[in-house]
Amino acid sequence: MKFFFPDSQDQVDPTFDFQTEERDPFRVRQRDDLYAHEVLKPPPFNGLLVSKAIVDGTAGSSTGKYTLPQRHRLYRQGAREFFRLDNGSAPLKIMGDCGAFSYVGEEYPPYTVEEVVSFYEGCGFDYGISVDHVIFQYEPKVLRTDEAAKEWVRRQQITLDLAAEFWQRCSASDVHFTPLGVTQGWSPESYAYAVVELQRIGYRRIAVGGMVPLKTKEILACLRAIDDVRAPDTQLHLLGISRVDEIPTFAGHGVTSFDSTSPFRQAFKDDRDNYYALDRTYVALRVPQVDGNAKLKARIRSGEISQGQAMQLERAALARLREFDRGEIALDAALEALDAYSAVWDGKANRSSQYRDTLENRPWQACDCSICKKVGIETIIFRGAERNKRRGFHNLHVFGQRLRRQLGDDDRD
Amino acid sequence: MTTVTKQGDESAVAASSGKVLHLPALEIRQGPNRRLYTFAVDGKQVPSFAAVSRVRRDSQQQLHGYQRPEVLAHVAAIRRYVESDDRPLLPNAIVVAFDDRVRFLPADTASDGPGYVRMGTLVVPVSEDWEDADKPGFIVDGQQRCAAIRDAEVPAFPICVTAFITADQADHRSQFILVNSTKPLPKGLIHELLPAASGPLPNQLRVRQLPATVLERLNFEERSPLRHMIQTPTNPAGVIKDNSMLRMLENSISNGVLYRFRGSDGTLPNIGLMVTVLSDFWTAVREVFGENAWGKPPRKSRLMHGAGIISMGYLMDAIADTNSSGEEFPDVQGFAAGLKTVKDYCRWTEGTWDLGDGIPRRWNDVQNTPRDIQRITDFLVSTYYAKQGKRHERSSRLF
Ligand SMILES: [Zn+2]
Repeated sequence: MKFFFPDSQDQVDPTFDFQTEERDPFRVRQRDDLYAHEVLKPPPFNGLLVSKAIVDGTAGSSTGKYTLPQRHRLYRQGAREFFRLDNGSAPLKIMGDCGAFSYVGEEYPPYTVEEVVSFYEGCGFDYGISVDHVIFQYEPKVLRTDEAAKEWVRRQQITLDLAAEFWQRCSASDVHFTPLGVTQGWSPESYAYAVVELQRIGYRRIAVGGMVPLKTKEILACLRAIDDVRAPDTQLHLLGISRVDEIPTFAGHGVTSFDSTSPFRQAFKDDRDNYYALDRTYVALRVPQVDGNAKLKARIRSGEISQGQAMQLERAALARLREFDRGEIALDAALEALDAYSAVWDGKANRSSQYRDTLENRPWQACDCSICKKVGIETIIFRGAERNKRRGFHNLHVFGQRLRRQLGDDDRD
Repeated sequence: MTTVTKQGDESAVAASSGKVLHLPALEIRQGPNRRLYTFAVDGKQVPSFAAVSRVRRDSQQQLHGYQRPEVLAHVAAIRRYVESDDRPLLPNAIVVAFDDRVRFLPADTASDGPGYVRMGTLVVPVSEDWEDADKPGFIVDGQQRCAAIRDAEVPAFPICVTAFITADQADHRSQFILVNSTKPLPKGLIHELLPAASGPLPNQLRVRQLPATVLERLNFEERSPLRHMIQTPTNPAGVIKDNSMLRMLENSISNGVLYRFRGSDGTLPNIGLMVTVLSDFWTAVREVFGENAWGKPPRKSRLMHGAGIISMGYLMDAIADTNSSGEEFPDVQGFAAGLKTVKDYCRWTEGTWDLGDGIPRRWNDVQNTPRDIQRITDFLVSTYYAKQGKRHERSSRLF
């Protein structure tokens, strides 16, 4: 089972100083920054998934996450060198897709098959996913002849037509990457239907799309339906799915790879599951920067609270947490400082009991990942990109451990 | 220098706490009705007598105060300077408006100096327990510096203060507006001063120092093909905008061939090699594209225009990357050979670009916008790769 991590230019800056919160001004983004696979051992994933939408943007609207100089260097050097795939303790694979979620609202995908083949081949990818158009809905009872299915059938047909063209172009120009077709559907039957078509075209690797909002049992229903038509040598890739507990079950249905950002994103997007431990999660300790919190800034500008007071509470919260970490003060003193600062930037949510749970268990002290080992309690403080991304990396590390445990792999390296 | 006393005769001045500062000061008469005071005080002591008045409205929507919140990054930069420089210098006086609890006591000694100035002592009431609103002084200018000194881990840091005494809040406010409404220096002048500047600079300017230095050498060195061609405040006749050239240099320093010479981990950038590569490349550009496009103002030649300069920078990086490794890089001939392969597709001075997207573009429709720069760049670089044959098959498929 291979886990791919979708790249979104997520790196950490090794020059960042947690005390002063300053960095080396001469550091060059991406070049001097480190990827998770360069920081963690073993690398927490088997490969990166890189979207054309993130690198190039879409012609009409977004401009992508890459600067023009970065994009040109990626093309000059190729993905292996640009992403430093061989820099970790194990080399990584690289998979390309179009980033269909970025154009889900469009009538038609914004890329031509030719552009996409060029992108994969030009960057030197190992796997390339055909151009697809996402179907969001899940309605197992709706037949393809029903009026309600009209738009879904249209999207599925676009995806299949583009997959046929993609296959043809890949074969004709003898590309160096392995092409994957995409099955999109709204029901087990419709997913299976698309798999039949893709296998007829020639695909033996198929990415299953549009399943992110589905419940596990719905995913399993689709996989079972696909099983009925799947050739024995056809391998499946689950797009955007990270349910670790189910991975062995998925594997039984021909799934050999998947990708997900959720262990990383939960670190700073989730309300409570911010910090992974092997068997549970913790809420991170929120200490936002006074000038990084929009609500607090507005209150200061209006004169409602004084900036000096807010800064004092912020500094006290950080100082108490570090003292607590070193065993110099009791839990209650640290918690009080956290709560006092929370009261000025976030009057509503009271996370006191969750914070107590996190502090009592000190999970950052138990973690053996290189990030927790190096920066300790800073990992679990919810504040600014450098801490939040490190916590995301830590989560990837634990996710990798959970995954290997689920699959019965030896976890020691 | 300053003394804290608890004298009975000062009780009227400092009724609230009984403490006063005696600060040796000069009184300067300015105009018919204004008296200014100038003195030195430890910056750490400023918060005990002067507050920053922040803008806020009370429940009746009455405006109070006139200050903006501290810019934390700016405060941190000054603080770092005060803490870490071995001879920090903050020459500008901060400006404080006092209310009429502060008094000036002229010295008895008669002086034969000019009539508009006299020596004496400024008597300032102080207290550690005052709320901001109770303090006799307001900081009109120098808020960030005061915050930085307040927070800095140094025992003391004396600063110059200019003060005036008035009971009128509106007077405070108009002084604040006057002090803070001056125009910042023009960008071009800052960039031209940068190469020869030393000592403390804000980080974003320190980062610009390297490209600005390379630009200066390209603009003024004898061997440079771009000599006197880049428009700066001291070289107004240049045809290439300084900003376009800086962008091109920054792109290559971060992600292109010049990155190899940028230095790191204690080694200094090799500016000489940067200038050599750039001189060779632009000499090749001059040779290949010739008089027609070279040295003309942007409205006559798009090669000298932002879109031309910046996209040619990417082409320089592409040619350098395909023709060199490690320490080596192409010379004039090497660059010229690469440039010749795209020459026939360029429309710098006349005709219409065929960028392959089905939309013909007249040569002078190309604008200095991110979108146009990207289009021309992608076209030049992909055309270059396509002409390199088998070895660059992979790259030629791009864009
Ligand atoms: Zn960890």
